[in-house]
Amino acid sequence: MSVRDILSAENELTHMLGAQQAVVLSTRVRLARNLAGLPFPGWAKPAQREEVATRCLQALTALPRFRRGHVFRMQELSDLDRAVLVERHLVSKELAGAKTGAAVISRDQTCSVMVNEEDHLRIQVVKAGWHLRSAWQLAEQLDDGLAPRLGFAFSDRLGYLTACPTNVGTGLRASAMLHLPALCLSGHMDKVTRGLGQDGLAVRGWLGESTEAAGNVFQISNQQTLGHSEEDIMKHLSAWIKSVVEQEWNARRRLVADEGEKFADRLARSLGVLRHARLLTSAESMNMLSHLRLACDMGCLPEERRSVVDRLMIEGQPAHVQALTGAELDSDARDARRAAAVREALGEFPEVGPPTE
Amino acid sequence: MGESRQCAICGQPATVHVSHIAQGKMTQVHYCEACSQGKGATDPAVFKLADVLSAQSASPSLLCPSCGFSDVDFRKRGRLGCPVCWEVFGDALGGLLAKVQHETVHHGRSPAGSAADPAVLRARIESLRRELDAAARAEDFMAAARLRDEIGRLESSLKPS
Repeated sequence: MSVRDILSAENELTHMLGAQQAVVLSTRVRLARNLAGLPFPGWAKPAQREEVATRCLQALTALPRFRRGHVFRMQELSDLDRAVLVERHLVSKELAGAKTGAAVISRDQTCSVMVNEEDHLRIQVVKAGWHLRSAWQLAEQLDDGLAPRLGFAFSDRLGYLTACPTNVGTGLRASAMLHLPALCLSGHMDKVTRGLGQDGLAVRGWLGESTEAAGNVFQISNQQTLGHSEEDIMKHLSAWIKSVVEQEWNARRRLVADEGEKFADRLARSLGVLRHARLLTSAESMNMLSHLRLACDMGCLPEERRSVVDRLMIEGQPAHVQALTGAELDSDARDARRAAAVREALGEFPEVGPPTE
Repeated sequence: MGESRQCAICGQPATVHVSHIAQGKMTQVHYCEACSQGKGATDPAVFKLADVLSAQSASPSLLCPSCGFSDVDFRKRGRLGCPVCWEVFGDALGGLLAKVQHETVHHGRSPAGSAADPAVLRARIESLRRELDAAARAEDFMAAARLRDEIGRLESSLKPS
């Protein structure tokens, strides 16, 4: 199995197999775990890291969830293949650069486990839309399946022991990827970010990078991992996600009411550019695709087109463009390829109409 | 920025400078490119961590007997060496945890097989029972058998030993 199979396989995020939703793109649960009696990857000797990789891969591939899944050792992959996995959020940048790093990915790409990242194990579950409960249940199953086989470092007082103090305790990072175009357009995003920050939640951009979120996509996650149960952490996050989604809808309704024809005009112009441009940078296409996603949410475009927009957002990233073309491309050639793929996918799109939501 | 600064996490020359404003007070932290990207320079938890680390002294006073990691290493890297380090640096970390996490004691799951919160266990058994029903209805007998085993295991851990 190669990284190319990951690109072509149908999965929740790119093929509408899960129920795509307005506002919430995806839900993620991550658990940090370490093997007792071995140094954390950043301090371990190469032989110890190798031992961790061998033991973890053995335990992981024995789990039913990973039957017929993918096993990748980072050093055996090309730079491009590693970059594709990073863009898919299946592995982190840090893991992609780690010599003894490995990843096991379930066939449906919902579950992935990084080995020898900052911690020995990073268990991840991603679901399309807002599905924290089911994402958690899958992560819990994997955790329970691995614990007796591997023997996790755990203290009654501090919980799961991790390399970084920001992960100790539950080791749980629960997050949602949100598409918030109206909060951005109306200039309220800063206020929302501050509110979240003051209540222990972190806000990041699309690929974890800082302030300017490409395509108005933000990741919101819990900051604290110690002192609160998994249940409480998720309840806290859920309450906030619900509130942010509501604020986004309010901002959308206000925009529609205030702007009149200008609202649909903006979205229609983006469709026009995307349909005809010969060159599209990654940032430009993300921002215009964000308008199309908004159009699908608001009834300006048929809702079932949303999955096409989501797929283009993922496949328009630089490594994806190259991997799908099957060649390494410089930035100009990428922009041309990206524009061609977008033109083709949007060729059949109907005109943008007035909002019905 | 005329003077050169070092990354708060790894000590390399810093190129990213972050101002953080909390409760009306502004502080600055500096990162190298890699650390700012890898760890998210805007992440308040990392910010506080770096803040606490840079306030500590420069000579090693604690050494982990299991992996040889020292408190100076911790200050440089912001990460611990091994699980045993948590015991060794426990007192020093107490203050740091309170700053970074606002809490110092774990409430939550424990590894499968060891003692766990009975209330959490019961909720888990309930949800597994629902999955078992669904699996039985779908005639997925492999899954049903696995779920039955799991429920049995959790139920036995609920009984006092």
